[in-house]
Amino acid sequence: MAEAKKVILRISRFNPEFDEKPHFQDFEIEIPKGMTVLEALYFIKENIDPTLTFRGFCRSAICGSCSVKVNGHPKLACKTQIWQEIERFGTNILKIEPLGNMKVIRDLAVDFSEAEEKLKKVKPYLIPDPEVIPDTNDEESIVYPEEMEKFDKFTDCILCGTCYSMCPAVMFIDDYAGPFQFGRIFRFAEDPRDGLKKERSKIAYAFELWKCIRCERCADICPKHIHPVEAVTHLRAMSIEKGLTLNPGARHAIAFYKSVTSTGMLNEAILPIMSKGIKGVLENMPVALSFLLKGKMPPPIVKPIEDIEGFKKVVSLSAEVE
Amino acid sequence: MLQLDVAIIGAGGAGLYAALSAIKKNPSLRVGVITKVFPTRSHTGAAQGGVNAALSNVAEDSPEKHTYDTIKGSDFLADQDAVELMCHIAPKIIREMEHMGLPFSRLENGKIAQRPFGGASFPRTCYAADKTGHVMLQTLYEQCIRRNVKFFNEWFVTALVHDEQKVCGLIAIDMKSGKIEVIRAKAVILATGGHARIYWRRTSNALGCTGDGTAIALKAGVPLKDMEFVQFHPTGLRRTGILVTEGARGEGGYLINKDGERFMKRYAPEKMELAPRDLVSRAIETEIAEGRGFRDNEGNEFVYLDLRHLGKKKIMERLPQIRELAIDFEGIDPIEEPIPIRPTAHYCMGGVDTDIDGKTIIDGLFAAGECACVSVHGANRLGGNSLLDIVVFGKITGELASEYATSSQLSEFPISALKDERQKIESLFEKDGKEKLADLRNKLSDILTYGAGIFREEGRLKEALDKVKEIKERAQHLKVEDLSYTFNTNLQQTLEFLNMVELAEVTVMTALERRESRGAHYRVDYPKRDDKNFLKHSIVTLENGEYKLSYKPVNITKYKPEERKY
Ligand SMILES: Cc1cc2nc3c(=O)[nH]c(=O)nc-3n(C[C@H](O)[C@H](O)[C@H](O)COP(=O)(O)OP(=O)(O)OC[C@H]3O[C@@H](n4cnc5c(N)ncnc54)[C@H](O)[C@@H]3O)c2cc1C
Ligand code: SF4
Ligand code: SF4
Ligand code: FES
Repeated sequence: MAEAKKVILRISRFNPEFDEKPHFQDFEIEIPKGMTVLEALYFIKENIDPTLTFRGFCRSAICGSCSVKVNGHPKLACKTQIWQEIERFGTNILKIEPLGNMKVIRDLAVDFSEAEEKLKKVKPYLIPDPEVIPDTNDEESIVYPEEMEKFDKFTDCILCGTCYSMCPAVMFIDDYAGPFQFGRIFRFAEDPRDGLKKERSKIAYAFELWKCIRCERCADICPKHIHPVEAVTHLRAMSIEKGLTLNPGARHAIAFYKSVTSTGMLNEAILPIMSKGIKGVLENMPVALSFLLKGKMPPPIVKPIEDIEGFKKVVSLSAEVE
Repeated sequence: MLQLDVAIIGAGGAGLYAALSAIKKNPSLRVGVITKVFPTRSHTGAAQGGVNAALSNVAEDSPEKHTYDTIKGSDFLADQDAVELMCHIAPKIIREMEHMGLPFSRLENGKIAQRPFGGASFPRTCYAADKTGHVMLQTLYEQCIRRNVKFFNEWFVTALVHDEQKVCGLIAIDMKSGKIEVIRAKAVILATGGHARIYWRRTSNALGCTGDGTAIALKAGVPLKDMEFVQFHPTGLRRTGILVTEGARGEGGYLINKDGERFMKRYAPEKMELAPRDLVSRAIETEIAEGRGFRDNEGNEFVYLDLRHLGKKKIMERLPQIRELAIDFEGIDPIEEPIPIRPTAHYCMGGVDTDIDGKTIIDGLFAAGECACVSVHGANRLGGNSLLDIVVFGKITGELASEYATSSQLSEFPISALKDERQKIESLFEKDGKEKLADLRNKLSDILTYGAGIFREEGRLKEALDKVKEIKERAQHLKVEDLSYTFNTNLQQTLEFLNMVELAEVTVMTALERRESRGAHYRVDYPKRDDKNFLKHSIVTLENGEYKLSYKPVNITKYKPEERKY
C-alpha cells in the first residue's frame, strides 16, 4: 500500500428540492499519494454518500467538466492532486465548492447555460472568407505556421468555465461576454480564413469589451494556460483601429451588432455587407434602424426575429441614439 | 411530446457531423442532438494523435494505399467496399473540416501537416499538435451553433422505440429536472461512442464511455456485430490507464524493457514501435509476463516509453499535452525521465450492425461512429482511422437521415413504451440494495481483463461467461440510493452499468465462439487466423430474452486475405 494522509474534504452541498441555501458537509478520508480531487469525490460517492453530485468525464484534463473551487481557487478536479493542495495551503482541510458566477444546480454541479448563451451570441465560428478558402473540397486553404501561431493557443480552450467563474466583469455587467468568449472572438479575428477578421472586434465591443478591468484573474487560473485578457487587449486595439471609440457612431455599431447577433440573422446575409465594406453600411445604419423601428425589414435582415428581448434592446438603443 | 425530424443521440464527432450534414441537406428540418454531456465534453475531444487521409502533403500517397493498409490492419475482417469508400472520401472531408476552421498543424508551405502512425506505410495522419480530437470537436460544435442545431444537453437516453419496422423516437431523462421525456422523430442516428469502460479499471476511455447506445439498440432487437474485438492501446499510463498517444511513437519514441532493450525488435523487426496496436500490446504484455517488465511499490507492472532522445524542443512543440499529462498524472517529465506505461482498453471495433450507408435493420434508424460497426476496422483499428470513420459516417448518415426524414412521416409513438420505461426506471429506486455499484463494476472489469483481455483462452472465457451472468443476476439488487429528481447521477451511473453488463456478456460470448486469432482477438489456444472457418462477422441479436449468435460474410472486393506481417 502506498502512503496515505487523513484529509477532511469540506464539501458544499445544495439540493434545491430540500435546501434553501448551500451548507458544508465534512468527509474525513484517507488519501493516498497521487489521488486527485476528482478521484476523492468518486471515492465518497461510491463508498460514503451516493447522493454527492458533481461532474467528471475524461479525467485527463481535456473535457472541461470537472472544475470546482478548492479552498477558493477554481481548478480542474481531475488534475488537482490532494497532497499538493494540502502542502500548498498548509492544512489538511480542503474546502470544495461549486464555481462562481453560475447558478448551482446541485452540490458542485453548476448551470453552464448562461455562459453558453453568451458564447453563442458572439458568433463563435468561422465564417469563411471566399478569397482564402477554396470553393471545392479538392483543395485546402493555405495557412502558414506563423499565421497559426497568432491564435493557436486560444484553440486550446476546453470551455471549462473556470475563467468565467472568477471574472468580476461577468459578475457586475449583464451584457459582458466573458473571458473565454473574448478568447474565441479573438481566435477567429486572427484566423486568415475568416471572413470577418478584425471586424469581429466590433462584436466584442458590443459585448462590453471595455468593461474588462484587466485584473488578470482569468489568465492566472486557466488550466490550459490561456490568457483571455490578452485577447481583450488585442481586440481593443483592433476595435480602435476599426474606428470604434465612445461616440455616437460607435453606438450605432453597437446597435447594429446587437441586432445582428440577437435576431438570428443568417451569417451569409452579412457577407455581402462585408464585401461592400462595413463602413458604408454603418453610415447607413440610422436609416436601417428606423426601418426596423417602423417594422419594415430591409434586406439583409431577412429572417424573422425570434429573440424578442434582443429586438427590444436594439429598438431602445437606437431610440437613445436618435 | 417533443418532436424532431432527425434526432441524433450523441454529440461527439459522429453526432455533430451528422447534425451538420442533416441540416445542410435540408435546412427546414428540425434537427436535434441529444447528449448526456455538454457537447464539447464528448470523448472525441480526448483524441490526441490525429486523423488519416491520403493528402500526399508530405509523401506521395493514395486512397488505394490507405485502403490497403486499413484492410491489412483489420486482419482482413473489414468490409472492403466500406473501407474503399471511407479512404476515398477522406481527403475531401479533411479539407471540408479545414474549411470550417479546424486549426490543423501546418507545413512550412502552408499545407496541412502529416505524421507517421502505426500500421501506415506513409506519414498520413493529419493533426493539430496533440489535440486533434479536441479541435475537431470544438470546430464541429461551432458550426452547429452557426447552423442553429438544437441541443438537448445533459439528457440521458434510456430507450429507443420502434414499431418493428420503423423508428418512432426515443425516451430520455432530462438530468436537470429529472423528468422522463419522449422525443418523437422521423429518423434517429445513434452516435453514442464506444464501450471500453466495461474494462472499468484499466481503460483510456472517459467515465461515460459505457456503450449506452449500443446496449439500447441491442435491447430494442437491433443486431450487434463483431463485439469480441476490443483494442488495447499499448501505451496507457501505469496507474490510471490514461492514454499516451501513438503520436509519441510516431514522433520517434522507444519502448524499453527492464534490460534497457528496445524489445520490439523481437516482435516487429521492421516497423518496430510503429507496428499495429494489437501486436505492440501483446509484445508489452509478453515482456511483462516473462519478467522483463518493471514493478512499482503499488504492484503496478509496466515498461517504459522513452521520449528523452527526441529532445526538449520537439517534445514541447509536438507533444505538449502528453508532457502535461505525464507530469500531472504520473509526476514525470518526459523530457527528463521515461514514462511508465502498460496497455489499456481503448477502442471497440464492434458495435451496432450497419450496412455501408450506416443503416440498421429498422427503417429510419442509423448508427455512426464508435458505437457502430460498418465495418471499416475489422479485427483491429489503425490509429487515426477512428476520427476519420466518425466524420465520414457521421456525414453519410446525416445526409441519408435528412433525406429519409424529408420524405417520410412521424410514426405513431406507442404510449405503452413510455409507461414501461418509466416503471423500469422507478423500480430501480425500490430494489433491496444488497449489492453495491462500485463493487460490481470493479468485479466485472476484473473478470473481463482476466477472461477476455489481451490474451484469451477457452477455459478462461467460459469461466468469464459464467461470472458475467452471475454479475448480471446480482445487478438485479442494485438500488438507486439517491431519491432526488435533480441531476441524479447515481441513477445515471446505475443505468450505465446495467448497459455495460449486457455488452460484457455479448463480448465474452462472441470471443468464446471465435476459435481463431485475428487482430485484437488473440486466442492462446488458437494462435492462427483461420480464414476457412472464421472469415466472417459475428452477429448477436436479442430474441425472446436470449442472445442468438449468427454470422455474416465479409465483403471482399480486390484485396485477397494474406498473412499480416510487419
Ligand atoms: C484517449 C483517446 C485517444 C484517441 N485518439 C485517437 C486518435 O488520435 N485518432 C483517432 O482516429 N481516434 C482516436 N481515438 C478514438 C476516437 O477518439 C473515438 O473512437 C471517437 O472519438 C468516437 O467518437 P464518437 O463520435 O463515436 O463518440 P464520442 O465522442 O464518444 O461521443 C459520444 C456521445 O454520445 C453521447 N451519449 C452516450 N450515451 C448517451 C446516452 N445514454 N444519452 C445521451 N447521450 C449519450 C455522449 O454524451 C457523447 O456526446 C481515441 C480514443 C481515446 C479514448
Ligand atoms: S482580466 Fe478582464 S476578462 Fe479577465 S477576469 Fe479580469 S475582468 Fe474578467
Ligand atoms: S479560457 Fe481557460 S479557463 Fe477559460 S474556459 Fe477556456 S480553458 Fe477554461
Ligand atoms: S474530467 Fe474532464 S477535465 Fe476533468
